[in-house]
Amino acid sequence: MNRFERKILFAIGLSVFLALGGSIFLAQGALREVYAVGVNERFGAELVHGVEALRGQLMALRSSTEQAADAVQWAIEAELARKRAENRLPSLLDELLQRYPFVRGIRVTELDGTPIAEVSRPPTTDTEPMRETSRDRAATVSGRTVRIAVSVEVPEVYFERLQQAGEAADVYSRLQRQSASVSDVYVWVFGTLVFLVILVAFLIGAIVSRRVTKRVTALAEASRKVGAGDLTVSLPTSATDEITELTQAFNDMVRDLRDSRTRIEYLQRISAWQDFARRLAHEIKNPLTPIQLAAQEMDETYEGGDEAYRRKLEHARAIIEEEVATLRRLVSEFSAFAKLPEADLAPADLGEVLHAIESSVPAILEDVGGGSPAPVEVRTAAATEPIRVRMDPMMLKRAVDNLVRNAVQAVHGAAPSGGGHVLVRAYKAGSFGFIEVRDDGPGIPEESWVRAFDPYYTTKAEGTGLGLAIVKKVVLEHGGEVRVDRAPEGGARFTIKLPLLESR
Amino acid sequence: MRGWLAALLLLLSAVAYAQSHLPARDMKIVWDRGAPKVSFSAKDLADDRVRRELSSGLRKRLQMNVSAHFKGSNYELAHRAFGCDVTRDLWEDGYLVRIGTQSKRFRTLEDVLDHCLVVEGLFVAEPKNYENNKGRDIYFFVRAEFNPISKKQCRELIRPTSGDEPIGPITVNIVRRRICQAERTVEFRSEFLEVPE
Repeated sequence: MNRFERKILFAIGLSVFLALGGSIFLAQGALREVYAVGVNERFGAELVHGVEALRGQLMALRSSTEQAADAVQWAIEAELARKRAENRLPSLLDELLQRYPFVRGIRVTELDGTPIAEVSRPPTTDTEPMRETSRDRAATVSGRTVRIAVSVEVPEVYFERLQQAGEAADVYSRLQRQSASVSDVYVWVFGTLVFLVILVAFLIGAIVSRRVTKRVTALAEASRKVGAGDLTVSLPTSATDEITELTQAFNDMVRDLRDSRTRIEYLQRISAWQDFARRLAHEIKNPLTPIQLAAQEMDETYEGGDEAYRRKLEHARAIIEEEVATLRRLVSEFSAFAKLPEADLAPADLGEVLHAIESSVPAILEDVGGGSPAPVEVRTAAATEPIRVRMDPMMLKRAVDNLVRNAVQAVHGAAPSGGGHVLVRAYKAGSFGFIEVRDDGPGIPEESWVRAFDPYYTTKAEGTGLGLAIVKKVVLEHGGEVRVDRAPEGGARFTIKLPLLESR
Repeated sequence: MRGWLAALLLLLSAVAYAQSHLPARDMKIVWDRGAPKVSFSAKDLADDRVRRELSSGLRKRLQMNVSAHFKGSNYELAHRAFGCDVTRDLWEDGYLVRIGTQSKRFRTLEDVLDHCLVVEGLFVAEPKNYENNKGRDIYFFVRAEFNPISKKQCRELIRPTSGDEPIGPITVNIVRRRICQAERTVEFRSEFLEVPE
């Protein structure tokens, strides 16, 4: 991980964990506030009061049963004290049973357990569970003691309600006592969950930022390589963002640098070859005339009678004159190559070049045909609108002339009896203007495309290998490029590409 | 590797420290047919507040946990637990104590405490728990609790459903454990003793 990546990750980490800290701090306050609203002393006190009330209700009920038992005892004592002839005790017990609704039954017995009177309520169909107890009393009248058992019952639900209320109050009281720690539990769990979410977010952020930082790092590394002279670097531009635009711009810059360097190197090489051609032409040209004169003199001044020798002399003179002529042509071409001027660029229309070529086609055909026009159809096609470029019309015309001449030679060589075609056209596409020269001749082998523009490289028997070199030099001086490939017709296709004026 | 060893040493030290700081109390331990019978009193659990709560008429619980451990280790060799649900009968005088499925009535609170917090001859697990550890030093740990709320009851009382939010199930469990813990706890251990041969 480099420094840039560390800084990006630190920035991401700082922002997310500051957010986490802030949210935990705020959440703690909010939760304590919410907890304090929900679990407060007032509610706790009310719950306790509720429990007390239920307990009080039970105690009051118990007190009532005790009082009822006492009342039953007094009533029986009074009845026994009256000593009536008839025994009204059963009807009294019935009355008492009606008077006290929670009394389930009354039983009066002698001390030894002998029953005297007993009443009880009929069993009810109510399924409500009841708790039943007996309140025992003893009544003594005139020395006679009887036992009174008053059975009372109270719904079990009273006890259950008390228990439930007590438990609720108990839990509430615990929640109240631990309000701080319970809200802290929520804060910590919340904090932990948020931390995990943020951790995942941080990791995703780190991965995403790594993709960006990796590309920036690659850019920095590529810049270092370019600085060290390596112009072959090229970075992938698969995404669609600002970094990609930057990478694209970097790639374009490196490509321009590479093209410029290639152009400069080629022009330097051409310049060196021009210098070499100039000296070669000079060194070859000078002895040619004495050689030719010497051969002529030897032939013309021979006065001997040896016919065979004379024929040899004439043959030698013919060879020498032919080779000298060839050498003169070579010297002429070398000189022309050596004296090739630099292009003087000015805004012009590519169509002008095409018109100039159109008018020189008959001369080219005549040259190639060796006196009579070669039977090759040369067609030109210019765009209807002007193709404005900066160019030296003379130089560019010369370059295109070379290409047309080569094409006519190739087509004528392949079909001397005619039928060959050459097309010269000018057009524009995007921010470039193009001149295309293509034919339906034998074409150029693909392996020769790279070296085709090298000086002195030729596949023709009588070529010097300077024509295409001149073409490339001229095109490069125009800030353009030239390439060769296969024409749709099967022959060679040369394309000159020049930047349009408006694109500069 | 060194880190793990250090962590293990730290853990053992912490256990030894905790044991040495646990109050030791006189406990009568008798070995009967290979199993220990322990007798002790944890009546000090019932302070004034506990006594008041036990007399409130609401059902309260006295929980006793006795466990056997190796000296210097937290490993539980054997465990025995019982609890008394004590209810002061507001209708009749006295206390109703339920241990498991059995119920018993007591006239006074003192009787209840004697029954629930004074332990006499309680078997702590079975002979098989000790037979492989003869000659080893052990101790008995007692934890007496007043009114811990059982897990089931706690779940019923504190938010029976955890809700749909992700924070609910986690927090409710922690809060339940915290809220439902015993209101008062007494912990002590016996002196170290050797499992007889």
